[in-house]
Amino acid sequence: MLGLGVESTAHTFSCAILEKKGKQGKILSDVRKIYRPPEGEGIHPREASRHHIENSSIVLSECLVNAGIKIEDIDIVSYAAGPGLGPCLRVGAVVARSLASYYKIPIYPVNHAIGHIELGKLLTGAQNPLVLLVSGGHTMILAFLNKQWRVFGETLDITLGQLLDQFGRSIGFASPCGKNIEELASTTTNYVSLPYSVKGNDVSFSGLLSASKSIISKSRSDACYSLQETAFAMISETVERALSFTRKKELMVVGGVAANKRLSQMLQDVCKRHNAKFFVVPLKYAGDCGSQICWTGLLESQVKKGVSLENTFVTQSWRLDSVVVNY
Amino acid sequence: MKLLKKGAEADIYLTKWNNSNAILKIRKSKEYRNSVLDSKIRKQRTIRESQILSEVKSFGISSPLVYYVNLKKSEIIMQEIPGIPVHDLTESKIVKKSMEIGKLVGIMHQNGIMHGDLTTSNFILYKNKIYVIDFGLSQKTNKPEDHAVDLRLIKEILNSAHAKIMESSWNNFLLGYKSIVGNSQLSKITNLVSSIESRGRYAAVI
Repeated sequence: MLGLGVESTAHTFSCAILEKKGKQGKILSDVRKIYRPPEGEGIHPREASRHHIENSSIVLSECLVNAGIKIEDIDIVSYAAGPGLGPCLRVGAVVARSLASYYKIPIYPVNHAIGHIELGKLLTGAQNPLVLLVSGGHTMILAFLNKQWRVFGETLDITLGQLLDQFGRSIGFASPCGKNIEELASTTTNYVSLPYSVKGNDVSFSGLLSASKSIISKSRSDACYSLQETAFAMISETVERALSFTRKKELMVVGGVAANKRLSQMLQDVCKRHNAKFFVVPLKYAGDCGSQICWTGLLESQVKKGVSLENTFVTQSWRLDSVVVNY
Repeated sequence: MKLLKKGAEADIYLTKWNNSNAILKIRKSKEYRNSVLDSKIRKQRTIRESQILSEVKSFGISSPLVYYVNLKKSEIIMQEIPGIPVHDLTESKIVKKSMEIGKLVGIMHQNGIMHGDLTTSNFILYKNKIYVIDFGLSQKTNKPEDHAVDLRLIKEILNSAHAKIMESSWNNFLLGYKSIVGNSQLSKITNLVSSIESRGRYAAVI
């Protein structure tokens, strides 16, 4: 079975084609164009959606060429229906709807966050993991129970991705800033005390963000280092709490911030302490991509027919713990 | 010394204190954590836990007796409560016990203590009485927001780990809580819980 997935929740417009045989999935192509805001600024939804519109046809045709297939060969098309930025979501939905109606292909709206998890499971082989989803849109600790992903801990305010981006922008980096912060942080080991806010299994980052900004003027690298150490230690502690509470023997990290090596290193240490296996989504597929949408759509097609065009919604707020998973 | 549990932030051993069984709780240094941050957290939580373990007894909460504290090693030796964590009880029992847990939380809040880590593993049923343990994240606070954070956490845990009995146990918890703090305080706190939830990522906009 061949699927086409369209991702456009935030700064990335991406199309991917995957082949599903039984439980096996193979990525045939995954093409992305990423909107880059000017340095020191965040994603402007209107500008990002304009970028997606301008690039959609190029990305789609490149994706078909790379996979070596024709559009008529595709069995289902899925698109990210949320959560994300409204103007951006609509671009992907329009592309998917056009294909579905013109070529009469079944269409599937997919939750973007579930996509991160399902693609992670496909690529890492994790069976029954505790999941840490860390990205610009999410910071959540999840476990699957009774047909739904259940939240064991999450951020009470901003996400880890937002923390890094908003801090990074204030020292003049362009979003996403994680990589730049990591590089600058690796040049020092001088720790400045910052607020550490763990509330049970939940975290709160807003106080840490303000405090980190206030020490930038003394030393940019110390600020980067201390921010990373504090934020990642908070995440690691809540992961430890959730591991010990759920007694899971696997941890899988997905989402854009999974690319951070320091975070990975800390979580690996956590897993060692709890005799849990550590899985992290491969770097190339950590960030937003069409593959995550495509694979989730293919999984859903096992148990559901596509939806009618009138029901191809997009929604900015769509929590993944409200999705019932039947496959 | 027998390792009983590798918890999230501390290791729990079974040991002896004056010839009777006792629990040794050590907050070991974590390699992954920056050492300045690490020792600050361990020290602060050891002090807090040992203080509040004793303090809650003064208003009738059952908790382990503290025998000995070693701040340098971040360890506490305390009484063993050889019961069963509420987390491991049958579902119908958890529903029943939720009311009592609600009462206990109400009593702590009324006396200005926020537990900070209200999970079903931190309540132990022993000889028909519920003991409260693990005060590492507790705080002395009368702020309604802090009390709401406590309630939100136990709600989150019921919703995730005990999804099938979430509604009945949450209702019982609230009944127990109300019986201590009263109707108006209950609605004040539950309104704040809703407001915290609505601040969550992608919460349904009403």
